[in-house]
Amino acid sequence: MKGGQDRKTIRHPLVVVVDDDESVRESLPDLLKEFGFAVVAFSSADEFLASDSVDRTMCLVLDIAMPGMGGLDLQKMLKSRGYKIPIIFITGQKDESLRMRVLEQGAVDILFKPFSDIALQDALSKAMAGS
Amino acid sequence: MAVRPETPAEEIRRLRRCINDLVSVLALPATRTGGLPSQIVGNSLDALLSMLNLDFIYARLRESTGAVFTEMVRVSSSWESKPRAEEIGEKLRPWLENGSEKLPVVVRNLFGNRAITLVPLHLGLHADIGVIVAGSERADFPQQTEGLVLNIAANQAAIGLQESGLLSTQRRVASELDQRVAQRTAELAATNEVLRKEIAERESVEERLRQEETELKRSEAHKAAILDSSLDCIVAMDHEGCITEFNPAAERTLGYEREDVVGKHLADVIVPASLREKHRVGFARHLATGESRVLGRRIEMTALCADGREIPVEIAITRIRQDGPPSFTGYLRDITERKRNEEALLETHAELARSEERWRSMFENSAIGVALTDLNGHFIAANPVFQKMVGYTEEELKQFSFIDITVEEDRNLNWALIQELLEGKRRQFQIEKQYRRKNGSAVWVRNSVSVVSGMERGPRFLMALSEDVTERRLAEEALNETRSELAYMARVTTLSTLTASIAHEVNQPLSGIVTNASTCLRMLDASPPNVEGARETARRTIRDGNRASEVVARLRALFSKKNAAFEVFDLNEAAKEVVALSVSDLQRNRVVLQSDLAVDLPSVLGDRIQIQQVILNLLRNGSDAMSIVDDRPRELLIKTDCDDGGGVRLSVKDSGVGIDSEIEGKLFEAFYTTKGDGMGIGLSVSRSIVERHQGRLWATRNEGPGATFLFSIPCSTNT
Repeated sequence: MKGGQDRKTIRHPLVVVVDDDESVRESLPDLLKEFGFAVVAFSSADEFLASDSVDRTMCLVLDIAMPGMGGLDLQKMLKSRGYKIPIIFITGQKDESLRMRVLEQGAVDILFKPFSDIALQDALSKAMAGS
Repeated sequence: MAVRPETPAEEIRRLRRCINDLVSVLALPATRTGGLPSQIVGNSLDALLSMLNLDFIYARLRESTGAVFTEMVRVSSSWESKPRAEEIGEKLRPWLENGSEKLPVVVRNLFGNRAITLVPLHLGLHADIGVIVAGSERADFPQQTEGLVLNIAANQAAIGLQESGLLSTQRRVASELDQRVAQRTAELAATNEVLRKEIAERESVEERLRQEETELKRSEAHKAAILDSSLDCIVAMDHEGCITEFNPAAERTLGYEREDVVGKHLADVIVPASLREKHRVGFARHLATGESRVLGRRIEMTALCADGREIPVEIAITRIRQDGPPSFTGYLRDITERKRNEEALLETHAELARSEERWRSMFENSAIGVALTDLNGHFIAANPVFQKMVGYTEEELKQFSFIDITVEEDRNLNWALIQELLEGKRRQFQIEKQYRRKNGSAVWVRNSVSVVSGMERGPRFLMALSEDVTERRLAEEALNETRSELAYMARVTTLSTLTASIAHEVNQPLSGIVTNASTCLRMLDASPPNVEGARETARRTIRDGNRASEVVARLRALFSKKNAAFEVFDLNEAAKEVVALSVSDLQRNRVVLQSDLAVDLPSVLGDRIQIQQVILNLLRNGSDAMSIVDDRPRELLIKTDCDDGGGVRLSVKDSGVGIDSEIEGKLFEAFYTTKGDGMGIGLSVSRSIVERHQGRLWATRNEGPGATFLFSIPCSTNT
């Protein structure tokens, strides 16, 4: 699967990015699109929950430390509402203990910023395989 | 032989010769001088033998006693043999005893076969004196003249013998008389001698008597002198118990006059009323039986003085041995003073004993260890607590000095302090140190050591009051460990918080950069390449790079703009607080800290806590710099003074590894460290803090080992 010639077709699985950092919201969707996904980006958890993307989301790329509701809280909320969206956490704080915690709570993976495109692609593969 | 008739001339010659012979015989000296009988007869025999030309002539004399004979003989020189007088006497005996009147007679074969004519001559009437026998071989023997000569000679001899006998009797009588006189004289002399001796003896006795008398007089005088001058009271009494002598000392001591008491009963005078009955009974018993409980011993009793006082006295009574009834002498001494001294001494002893008892009790029951050593540190005594503390018995301890049971690293300091004590530089000192117990374990003790004087001029001791502080030390060490762990944690936490925040802030833009760059590459790799998208992502990459740099700048700004609580404070006080906080940490690292804080130091304006952090940092740095120093003391000097620019300066001088010239320029750079486990943030942060106080932080090399770190900040009036 190559390129974005057909990027508007709904057959492309939807990946949602939630991060308060603008540079991530700008850069990450382009890369994901290069991978062949449909992408929507939100700057906060609340914004995401208020959108109509929740039900269509095939994979969530979620920042942990955000103003307001953090990534881990959003994970719990989605879980409590019955969603089983695969989540890939991203964070600027390198903390291996965090990895254990989020994996235990059902996350697919956690990537420490800055992460490589390969690492992201691997995580997405796992998320798609599991869902 | 034929006899021829004699001629007239011959006859005249013969007759003349006879006259000559007769004259010779009469002139024999012996017969006149009255010698011994043997001499008288011998002379006659010699004369007759030669005058008459005889062959032999024999004489036998009766001794005055009558029963014994003396025999003599003279023999002609023509005879070959010389028979002895007894032999001739034996041969003549039968012939002489039978008819000696029938003479002269010719006897043959008397000597050999000769015919000898013998002529006997009687001495005295009936030969009662003796007999002489003349013999000759001549045929005409004896001629008439020869017979005449023989008879005359015999008579002469007899007269001589009688005279001799008379003389000898006279002599004997005279001698006897002499002897008697001598004997009597001797007896008289002996009697005289005895008399003389008796006289001499009597004189000697008289002399002795005189001497004795003198001696006696002298002795009496002596005795009187002794009595008078004696310091002891001397009181004599007779067998009835009456006083006969009372010397001046007794008068002085007891207050009685001699004249008043002599003749009175002793019991009525100096024996206190309470003892009088006892005295009488004892005295009576002594007189009756001779036994006594007081004679010949020193005893203590009470004496009654003239003024009614009763005083303690020591008394010795002796019985005077003499003829007649016994008398007694008492030597008496006032022992009031001695008693008082004795009592005082007893009291002192009791006091000492009580003191000793109290001390001993304190020593034994003390809750803390007490040990006494000599000045070389050898144990003399140790109380039970001390023994228990070190695990040795007192006996075992006596084989050690305290240095022996002190752990090695504390010995030098301990001994140096003892020296200062002995040199009088200190009156006492405290030390916390470890003893090595008997079982090998260590015990922490806190010792107060001082010099204890013994008795006056006696030996001095070292006394250690020893408290087991092992638990406290262990707790302290645990606390210190916790504290330093906390401090380390705090440092790490602070730093990690800082780094986390730095990382978070910087990682956001970095993340964008990496993602954009990756996307860019993918767009360019696509076919056809999405150049427009790539350009866009490259643009964003640049933008994110700038953002990252802005984040760092913002962090630095944030850090430097942190609001400080400025106040006026005393740098000395602040430094003292830090020193107080650091002491145990420093002691644990065996660092000796000295302070030299300037008096009248101007106060400063600033963040007291931050400045204290700087001081703490400098002390830690100094201490750390000496951690590998083992060949010299680990000394740290903290000093404050005014600097030339009107500011206040604080310096910390160490004797550590010093500053390598290569790293000098990097000292204050953040994250630069020479310590294996260090963060390299301390000096950098410290310098920022000091600079925010408009101050300056720098370092210099010492002249000796180590380095000095200094900062100076303006004092509050200049700010």
